[in-house]
Amino acid sequence: MRLSLWRKTSIAILSVAMLNLGFVSATQAAIVDTSALVTTDREADLSTVRAQLTRAEVRAKFEEMGVDATAIDRRVAQLNDRELHQMAVDIQNAPAGGDVVWLIGAVFIVLIILELTGVIDIFKKT
Amino acid sequence: MRKRAATVAARFVFLLSIPLLLSACAARGPFIAASMAPGARTSVELDATPFFPQDKYQCGPAALATALVASEATTTPEDLVPLVYLPARKGSLQVEMLATPRKFERLSYVLSPNFDSIVAELNAGRPVLVLHNYGLPTWPKWHYAVVIGYDSARDRFILRSGTKRRDEWRARTFMVAWHHAHRWAMVVLRPGEIPVTADPRSYLQAAADFERAAKPEAALLAFDAAIKRWPAEPVAWIGRGTAQYRAGKLTEAARDYAAAVSIDANNAGARNNYAQTLLELGCPRRAREQLSSIDAAALQTPLREAVSDTRLHVDAAISATTADSAECTFPVSGS
Repeated sequence: MRLSLWRKTSIAILSVAMLNLGFVSATQAAIVDTSALVTTDREADLSTVRAQLTRAEVRAKFEEMGVDATAIDRRVAQLNDRELHQMAVDIQNAPAGGDVVWLIGAVFIVLIILELTGVIDIFKKT
Repeated sequence: MRKRAATVAARFVFLLSIPLLLSACAARGPFIAASMAPGARTSVELDATPFFPQDKYQCGPAALATALVASEATTTPEDLVPLVYLPARKGSLQVEMLATPRKFERLSYVLSPNFDSIVAELNAGRPVLVLHNYGLPTWPKWHYAVVIGYDSARDRFILRSGTKRRDEWRARTFMVAWHHAHRWAMVVLRPGEIPVTADPRSYLQAAADFERAAKPEAALLAFDAAIKRWPAEPVAWIGRGTAQYRAGKLTEAARDYAAAVSIDANNAGARNNYAQTLLELGCPRRAREQLSSIDAAALQTPLREAVSDTRLHVDAAISATTADSAECTFPVSGS
């Protein structure tokens, strides 16, 4: 009875989407969150259902990335729609700060030397 | 393919640098002193900033704990590991570094990508969490650290970083590593604090993100500070109005929304929230005046639905009553 990852993901997405259908109208508040008034049009385009799908997607990615099952809900819950979208798009490639300091690469040292000797200047006032 | 390209590029850069190394010419002068305005402070060190030595790969939780505890939140890197560490990436992502402080009733703000904004925060007593890249754009080695000071005379930045409590960096070396990490820097703020170099749009976005999870009293502090700093920003008034509304202070909310509408008559969000508040104050006819000018068809989804919902309720209340309650005038709040 082992379900494939594909089926598990589909079930997760569908169940979240269906849950959402139930309470869209119930949770509708007539006061609009300030966040809906400061985001750009493109971001506001993310409909509620779409955000729910993204949520399921991010949840699946967290699982894939080895996040402890007990922490996944908390991590998904603390992200807003914009952040969920960023995570869904970029979780594989976004900068992940983690390496310890002594891992300074040889190439980096060259970059520093170039800067110190004035060959390149990354700090020109823009 | 990418790796190979990186290796080729690296070799090329290295060969190019050999003559320079040999001649060791033209060493450049100090960076900090040259970048500072005349008469500016020459050194700052926020000694009281806590230090949490990182475990392997876990500079994200360690740096975030440093910034959070410096802002008087109570936490440890161990508490933060389950919230920001991604095992498969052996690191932490910026999105979660920014989202997590909200759990501790703190706002996160990404500084504008220049030296001045870091120095301004340090001068204001706030440590700055930075991302560094010790590799190349195509071959990055990311690391988070917390800047706690600078020393212009010695041209150094002082950091809490990795396993070093006090890590001094040559200013130019620091800047190279920061530049190659897209000059990303964040601060953690208590509700009511605003970064020295903040711009209203970014701050109000941060405050709106904060509002979602915050208690109304905390959100009120965040928007109240924004009103004092940028009284002409309608969103600052709307945010404070919503915090008042959620705290049950309807009259105060109505005044703040009225202020937002008086600044920006076309602000459908302000008018919608104002109308809802008027309705609850027993003033559905005044509420309908606010809604009548909104072109709902031109709005995005969440706002459009809210407006049509408010309209329904307002119309129902009007048919159910003969007149608004006696006191339906709410003078615009002053800042």
